[in-house]
Amino acid sequence: MTDGPTRRAVLVASAAAVPLLVTACRGVQVLGAPPPPAPDITQLRSAIAAERLMIGRYHQVITRAAGHQATVTRLTALLSEHQQHLALLQARLVIPAGSAAASPDGSPPAVKPVPADLAGALSALAADEQAAARRLSTQLLVMPPSLAQLLASISASEATHVPVLSELRRTS
Amino acid sequence: MSRPAAKGSISPPGLTALQAALAAEQAACYGYGVVGARLAASAAGAGTADADWVAHQLARDQLSALITAAGATPAPAPVAYQLPARVQTSAEARSLAVTLEDGVARAYLALVAVPDRALRALGSRELTAAALRTAAWQHATVAFPGLPASALDLHLHSYAGMS
Repeated sequence: MTDGPTRRAVLVASAAAVPLLVTACRGVQVLGAPPPPAPDITQLRSAIAAERLMIGRYHQVITRAAGHQATVTRLTALLSEHQQHLALLQARLVIPAGSAAASPDGSPPAVKPVPADLAGALSALAADEQAAARRLSTQLLVMPPSLAQLLASISASEATHVPVLSELRRTS
Repeated sequence: MSRPAAKGSISPPGLTALQAALAAEQAACYGYGVVGARLAASAAGAGTADADWVAHQLARDQLSALITAAGATPAPAPVAYQLPARVQTSAEARSLAVTLEDGVARAYLALVAVPDRALRALGSRELTAAALRTAAWQHATVAFPGLPASALDLHLHSYAGMS
């Protein structure tokens, strides 16, 4: 047994360790300013924000529909699906303890007002659903597989809300 | 063993998912034939069944073409299928349509998990189409088309380790 290979191995190991040490130093330097979140986390946050906005819009339209009980019932059923979307999306967002990102639960999002008349409000909501479904179907292209599937399913669900809203508009 | 040059254009998991989607569409094409036949007597839903049947035939042919273009051989459809339940009434026919769409939706959801972006987009688009057809048959929507209830729990945990 010779010690040549062993020494070489040690040298190689040392060489490999240098970049790690450099990285470690850099890591210490950036501790004050955390690196930007991974793209999929950004997309997930954006999907969560979109669901919150949608839920806010539904609450507004349901208020507009007061007195149209059948419409309120259908809208409430759709709203409940959005609440399920939001719950599952939030469950997928793993927020590091002590991170500033833990706050989005706190303040309600700014919801742009829906049209004053019920028919106009239902049309606006249908357009929102269509746009949300389209946005999710683009976002999922860059997501990890399991998250992509969740977004695809939510996108499909939101697309099915569009004909329901169009029908409600015709009959309201 | 090497295949024609175009093979590399689709990843192995993409090809597997395409074949599974093709199998689901072939089953839907067969099943919708039964749905259409049972609904023919009653006007309600018959037109929908015909339109959906055509949609599935088009989707099947598109998948076949994609698989062929990738240098693979589309798996042939079985000669016949065992229907999941007796189909004699209109209600049973509608229920079969929903079952068929369910199978198709799950197959396309699997396509959404492959690395190929174009296939993901196709899976998402066709999942939406299946969800729209299901909602029309059921007169109701669901929160998570294509995801079985058991998968919702898995979804909650499968990425728990990801930061």
